[in-house]
Amino acid sequence: MSSTLVLGMGNPILSDDGVGLYVAERLQAGPMPDGVEIQTSEVAGLRLLELLKGYDKVVIVDALRSGREPGEIVRYDAAEFKGGHRYGSAHSIGLHTALELGRRLGMPMPDDVTVFAVEAEDVETFGEEFSCPVAAAAEKVIDLVRAEVGAG
Amino acid sequence: MKKISVDPITRLEGHGKIEIFVNDAGEVANVYFQIPELRGFERFCVGRPVEELARITTRICGVCPEAHHMAAGKAIDAVFGVEPTPAGARLRELLYNAFFVTDHTTHFYILAGPDFIMGPQSDPATRNILGIVHKVGLETAGALINLRAEAAELISIIGGKQIHPVCNLPGGVSQAVTKEQQERMIQITTGFVEFAKFSLQLFNDIVLGNNDYVDLIKSDAFTHQTYSMGMVDENNKVNFYDGKIRVTGPDGAELVKFDGKDYLAELAEHVEPYSYLVYPYLKRVGWKGFVDGKDSGVYRASPLSRLNAADGMATPQAQEEYERYFSTLGGKPVHATLATHWARLVEVLYAAERAHELASHPDLTDPNVRVIPTGIVGEGIGVVEAPRGTLYHHYKTDEKGMVTNVNLIVGTTNNNAAISMSLKKAAEGLIKGGTEISEGTLNMIEMAFRAYDPCFGCATHTLPGDMPLQVVTRSEATGEVIASVKRNM
Repeated sequence: MSSTLVLGMGNPILSDDGVGLYVAERLQAGPMPDGVEIQTSEVAGLRLLELLKGYDKVVIVDALRSGREPGEIVRYDAAEFKGGHRYGSAHSIGLHTALELGRRLGMPMPDDVTVFAVEAEDVETFGEEFSCPVAAAAEKVIDLVRAEVGAG
Repeated sequence: MKKISVDPITRLEGHGKIEIFVNDAGEVANVYFQIPELRGFERFCVGRPVEELARITTRICGVCPEAHHMAAGKAIDAVFGVEPTPAGARLRELLYNAFFVTDHTTHFYILAGPDFIMGPQSDPATRNILGIVHKVGLETAGALINLRAEAAELISIIGGKQIHPVCNLPGGVSQAVTKEQQERMIQITTGFVEFAKFSLQLFNDIVLGNNDYVDLIKSDAFTHQTYSMGMVDENNKVNFYDGKIRVTGPDGAELVKFDGKDYLAELAEHVEPYSYLVYPYLKRVGWKGFVDGKDSGVYRASPLSRLNAADGMATPQAQEEYERYFSTLGGKPVHATLATHWARLVEVLYAAERAHELASHPDLTDPNVRVIPTGIVGEGIGVVEAPRGTLYHHYKTDEKGMVTNVNLIVGTTNNNAAISMSLKKAAEGLIKGGTEISEGTLNMIEMAFRAYDPCFGCATHTLPGDMPLQVVTRSEATGEVIASVKRNM
């Protein structure tokens, strides 16, 4: 049976940065089809490789700062994560690099990776509340992820 | 004047930034290194039970949660006026050394590796972890991934969770380990020692075996005569978990050895209008600007400085490496910034041996892992060596243990002045008037700050991809972009 991972990412005490974790927790509270697992991660880097291995399909939910309107939801497929394999910090290896490294090491990495990213308004203030646009977007992302994994 | 920005734009805006100002003759006029500060941490903490800070402060930083957990644990012990039991302290130190092994080795292979295994001027398309995998072989990369998994397993045995441990409570840790868990940890830490020795051998073959690299490490462009800070045990040997803070001078002589709780008497903070991040300096020496020498209170807190500030390593194989390190680099102290990478591997071997020693301790399974506090002092300071420098946590509470005040000095902050100086000197050495600034040149300037493994604020991760870098040269008169070097954009 094929297996799917829904992975919420972010920092729970950095305002809008917690949106991915919140979405994952909400999904966890509701029904999910067989073979769909839900997890959260507060770190990325090589840890992604360890988290994603073994799944056929992965859906990641995270906050994003890209200059879009706060609350805008952007959908990426892993194939869009081009670019190089460079990093400014030891621990900021990206998704693309993690997937590629895992494949080269012969680990079973998912071919189907989708990311739902929510444009954040504030990820620089410590807090446990979302901004209004991000709070509204979180509800929409929950529905989008449910549809993506066949949970209706 | 032209301005060059080396701007790693992650999804956290203005995350970390290097700005190089070039005058009309094309020479470096000044270099600014900026890290924006996250807001409202103290406000977030005030009014919460102080025990929660051991779990909250792990969220400040996605890179070293374990270091914050340890400093917080020690500060909370002090708030309640309790000393952890020997068994509790042992388990904490074991977890912490396992963390050092995984953090330092990851840094070496992922961050230093591209520059030293592939070469600082090599093709950026292969100057990355995938290029390294190709060069050193799948087996080594697999061993690194395996080491990380096993370190995570050890951390979760003691810490209750991987990555964000939750074991530290006032007076010790939350639970004892079983005999079976001890056996597993002995097995895991045996692997640590092997991998540490393998990594040092790799460094020896690839870096020290190449005269160009040795010249680069020893070159003046990458050297600063600063004070060195590091935690030492009662024999003045390096310790990451507990001890006194020792500071030695540019000449290697001891300036001071102090208790972590006296940090406010020893350290002061300089501020600059362009940076949110303060510049700590040694109070008894004073701030003389971004300059080298014994009259300047600038210090470093890093693997490089820890080896300088100590008289040796407390474990036998690391001690051998320590001696080889200093004899190869011309004696103590070593001020060559790029030697930090070698010092880091010496520390990996120490952490591995120390973890093995602790895991094998006959009383490791002692169930007496915690003292229950009966009173409250209301103020506590906890200090550990984090991988990126000495980490200070200072809490004040009311009589019920609710937080009223929090002050932290984190690893990278210690090195703020030294990083700025290192960038400027490297830029001056590498950017000459009339020559084109290549990607390779900028990479070599970045090497000056990568050696410190700086932690940019507290991002937990980077999305959507690898950290992009943009370097723009602008005409000062018109603001027009004259040249631009981009990566991953």
